[in-house]
Amino acid sequence: MEITLNHYLVLSTILFAIGLIGVMRRKNLLMLFFATEILLNSVNIGFAAISHYYGDLTGQMFAFFIIAIAASEVAVGLGLLVLWYKRNGSIDLDMMSTMKG
Amino acid sequence: MEMYLYIALFAPIVGSLFAALFGAQPKTPIVGYVTSALIFTSLVASTVLLGAVMDGEIVHVELMTWIAAGDFYVPFGFQVDQVTVIMMMVVTLVSTIVHVYSIGYMDHDKGYNRFFSYLSAFVFSMMVLVMSDNLLGLFIGWEGVGVCSWLLIGFWYHKESATWAANEAFIMNRIADLAMLIGIFLTYWSMGSVQYDVIFAEAQYIDHSTLVTIGIFLFIGAMGKSAQFPLHTWLADAMEGPTPVSALIHAATMVTAGVYLVIRCAPMYDLMPEVGYFIASLGAFVAMFAATMALVNRDLKRIIAYSTLSQLGYMFVAAGLGAYWVALFHLMAHAFFKALLFLGAGNVMHAMDSELDPVKMGGLFKVMKVTAILMIIASVALAGIWPLAGFFSKDKILEVAFSGEHYILWGTLWVTAGLTAFYSFRLIMLTFFGEERYKNFGFHPHEAYKYMLYAMSPLAVLAVIAGWFEHQFVDFVTQMLPTFEFHTHHVEMILILVTSAIALGGIITAIVMYRNGPLSTKWESQFAYKVLINQYYIPQIYEKFLVQPYRELSDIFWKQIDMKIVDASVDAIATTFYNTGEATRGMQSGNLSTMLKWMVAGLVILLTLAVAFSVGYIAIIG
Amino acid sequence: MLEHILSILIFFPALAALLGFVVNKDSIRVYGIAVAGMEFVLALVLWGAYDPSIAGMQFMERMDLIPAFGISYLLGIDGISLFIIILAAFFTFIGIATLPNLKNIKNLIITLLFLQMTMVGVFAALDAMIFYVFWELSLVPMLYIIGAWGGEKRIYASVKFFLYTFAGSLVMLIGMLFMAFFYFQATGVWSFSILEWYRLVLPENIQLWLFVAFFFGFAIKVPMFPFHTWLPYAHGQAPTIGSVILAAILLKMGTYAFVRFSLPLFPDASVYFMFPIAILAIIMVVYTAMVAYAQKDIKQVVAYSSVSHMGIIVLGTFALNVEGISGAVFLMIAHGVVSGALFMLVGVFYDRRHTKLMSDMGGLAHIMPHYATIFGIMMMASVGLPLTINFVGEFLCLLGFYQQSHIFTLLAGTAIIVGAIYMLAAFKKVFFGNVVHEENKNLPDVNKKELFGLIPLVMIVVWLGVYPKPVLGPINNSVESIVQLMHDKAVTQEAKSVIPDLTKKVVISETIIEEVR
Repeated sequence: MEITLNHYLVLSTILFAIGLIGVMRRKNLLMLFFATEILLNSVNIGFAAISHYYGDLTGQMFAFFIIAIAASEVAVGLGLLVLWYKRNGSIDLDMMSTMKG
Repeated sequence: MEMYLYIALFAPIVGSLFAALFGAQPKTPIVGYVTSALIFTSLVASTVLLGAVMDGEIVHVELMTWIAAGDFYVPFGFQVDQVTVIMMMVVTLVSTIVHVYSIGYMDHDKGYNRFFSYLSAFVFSMMVLVMSDNLLGLFIGWEGVGVCSWLLIGFWYHKESATWAANEAFIMNRIADLAMLIGIFLTYWSMGSVQYDVIFAEAQYIDHSTLVTIGIFLFIGAMGKSAQFPLHTWLADAMEGPTPVSALIHAATMVTAGVYLVIRCAPMYDLMPEVGYFIASLGAFVAMFAATMALVNRDLKRIIAYSTLSQLGYMFVAAGLGAYWVALFHLMAHAFFKALLFLGAGNVMHAMDSELDPVKMGGLFKVMKVTAILMIIASVALAGIWPLAGFFSKDKILEVAFSGEHYILWGTLWVTAGLTAFYSFRLIMLTFFGEERYKNFGFHPHEAYKYMLYAMSPLAVLAVIAGWFEHQFVDFVTQMLPTFEFHTHHVEMILILVTSAIALGGIITAIVMYRNGPLSTKWESQFAYKVLINQYYIPQIYEKFLVQPYRELSDIFWKQIDMKIVDASVDAIATTFYNTGEATRGMQSGNLSTMLKWMVAGLVILLTLAVAFSVGYIAIIG
Repeated sequence: MLEHILSILIFFPALAALLGFVVNKDSIRVYGIAVAGMEFVLALVLWGAYDPSIAGMQFMERMDLIPAFGISYLLGIDGISLFIIILAAFFTFIGIATLPNLKNIKNLIITLLFLQMTMVGVFAALDAMIFYVFWELSLVPMLYIIGAWGGEKRIYASVKFFLYTFAGSLVMLIGMLFMAFFYFQATGVWSFSILEWYRLVLPENIQLWLFVAFFFGFAIKVPMFPFHTWLPYAHGQAPTIGSVILAAILLKMGTYAFVRFSLPLFPDASVYFMFPIAILAIIMVVYTAMVAYAQKDIKQVVAYSSVSHMGIIVLGTFALNVEGISGAVFLMIAHGVVSGALFMLVGVFYDRRHTKLMSDMGGLAHIMPHYATIFGIMMMASVGLPLTINFVGEFLCLLGFYQQSHIFTLLAGTAIIVGAIYMLAAFKKVFFGNVVHEENKNLPDVNKKELFGLIPLVMIVVWLGVYPKPVLGPINNSVESIVQLMHDKAVTQEAKSVIPDLTKKVVISETIIEEVR
């Protein structure tokens, strides 16, 4: 069986759905980061696949951008997370509601 | 001559302002003297002008521009012609007398200075009214006398009844003034000007229906000032004011402004006899209507006020039927004897500590001989007995009605003449003759100051002799006003006899009926009496069907509509936003997890919309 | 100096206000009076230098701000705006001079000076964006004045005032943006200059939409029925000085904008909407007069009477002829003077007894005769007595509209009746009768400070009532050119016939405007 664009897109969609569910369901901040990474990577797969399909490098370039952004985001995010954990001893999302309106 | 015109016009306002300087102070005698002197100056200047006009000179001046916008232009223009100068003479003469009289009458009043300020301001307004050479200038005076009347009726402002009457008079006049304004607007847009000379020349060229509309609206204006039915109720209530005010404003001058307007607009009204006939019919109706109310009233001043109303009706009959000079003649004669009558009533009031019910008087002749004689002269003149002034003028009006073959009008006026004589002498009999009932009420009447009586005497003389100058008067005013063709030469003597007979009959009936004082109270339970004493229930009807609903409607407008509908719907919009925010603030729980869920939900919705729209778009395009 | 006098008039009070922050608290009053006095003198200089024979804009100033979008700092005045500017300067001056002792008076005076900047700015601006900026800025000082020195419900009142008028202005802003866009489409250049816009002839359907958009902003400001309910709250809660400025100047922005924008930009739409607006105006006149009659608070009577009189102004504006519009502009001045004076008079009593309820008054003519006299004169002016300032305006407004419709004029004319009813009734309750309240028996009559504000107003009322020409002449001149412009621009036959042709050349700015078709 030849792997077509559709397969990539289905994979991307499935990963996106998993990521989305993770974003919604997870209460642990670390898990949330994982879920966002999954989301970003699902999009990356989509970009790369479509880029290949059209023979246009722009999509792949964009995927690299996203990877770079994801890396910096994780770097900053994890730093904050560690700081938060040190200060509060918990990274449970339900505990973080100081911005309640 | 221009200088005399300005003197005649502005002397009263100078007096008024002078008095106003002392307005808030207690009595300052000089105020009375200065204002009286200035009004007298105005009288002298008017006399000079009369002489000039008699020599055929019409004085016309344009002081300055007043309003100029677009094509509309109206200056302060004044003109002294035959009609004006007669009015000026009447106004200044009666005013002078009333001013002098008031020095005595208001002697003990703490508003002495204020009173003279108002009174002189009134004279000024009246002079503007009669001297203006355009409709808008007349309107200045028209409103000015309205305000002065408001101030003077409500002069004793601590009295609820006085201030109420003042407001009633002002508002009722305003209703008529609106009509008058509309008449002025229509005049401007149809004839391009409000100057008398222009519009009178133009009137014959414009569309007849427009002209009739103008005529009607101007006449409605006149109805308010001259207190014609249905705008008549304010006049009787206006008697709350000091008596000199009643004499000057509500008898001699202001209320005749309506008649003056019709006379002034004679060239216009001449072109529309149908409106004239309406005016005459209304006049005849009011003459009778007011006279009946005077028959039973138990208030000295109100009786005279109704009599004024009735006489105004006479004037309107003459003016409406095209006999403008007759109307003016009666206006003049009436001013003299009615002012005299009121001032006499003022003396009686003074003597009786402001008591007004003639039933409580009686036999005052013994203590107040001069006043009694003056009032009797005035009443005889009013009744129209030869050779006093009223005879000549009133008789002419009846002749006019007869001559135009308006027999119903004639009949009405004829009966009214009898009623007039009756109620005038009822008043005289109850007040001055019969048993001295005032003693039962503990009054100690006394005669008025000498100079008050002297001040009244010129009026008495005029009330007697004014009629003798009929021919000179006719020759003078018909230089300007249209002449009236009488077709009654064959029956003239009979008419005079018939009219005099009913007048004499009225007098004799009154004397006989009231020779022993008031009638028994049995009368008062009769239906006719009740209707008349309640003024045909018209004030009650106004109160119930106009004033009360207006008040209630205002309240509803405010509390129900403005607050509960208009404002509430504005607030409802604001509250919707507020409540939406209140309801959705739960989303901002601060919990990252919840917010992410909302974000996902939003994303899904947006995606769905995007898909739906693109599908729809393709469907439409494809 | 004269070529920049408008900028000076606008920014002098603002700079002075900034400087006011460093002025000592005790001398701030003198400082405020001096600044406002100088501003007033400048305004008089402006009048003196104004050439009444020129109908178009004078003292024009121009400076490009955002050339890419044609937004420039463009100022200029004609007969229509000149007198409102003078009035604004005058009222700020006597308003500050007669201020009673309030808390935080320093902030109040600084706020008033800022307010003055925005007021002059609105009436002098000839660029729509500049106009809009000043228009909105004027809300802020007023919001602060009501919110900080107001009565019990001041927060509600001030927020309502702000949000309501702000909402309307936003719709107006959208209209302005569209207008600029249409101008761009037609000419290929962006411009927000009103004078440039005047040259644009729009098709009728676009005119209708834009007219409605502008209408919302203006109508709420006027305020027209049914958008008027913010006004009684604002007046009811505002301190005296706030009410005076609000009634005398701020309300006039709405009617001024009708004359400046709606009429010349959208002549066909103006004709189209003439009768609907006339009906609204008549409702305004009669309905609010009746509501005024029902009030128990004397200040609310005056507030509602303001709405009623603004109805006459709107009616005169939409008479669309010279008589009516001149009358409307004149009545703006007249109503400013009279209602401002009436609010000051209400304030006089409020300062003494801290109540505005008519049931707490009664018989005041015995105790305060001078007060009663001045109030009486102002009341008579308010009911439109001839030889007072209001009569000239009201008469011309009604006269003008009579050409368009007899029956509507008759209905609107009832203003002189209903106006007399509520005013006389209120006067009777306040001044006539006997003194029933012990506390009122020893009230002092108007003092010198109050007289300083009131006497000039009385003099203006009589002077312009007897001799309105110095004001009416320039107004008339400028209005004529606007009417002619409308006639020339009108697209439909109907509008051409309704708006009179004065057969004169239109001069709006220095350049003669040729018709753009």
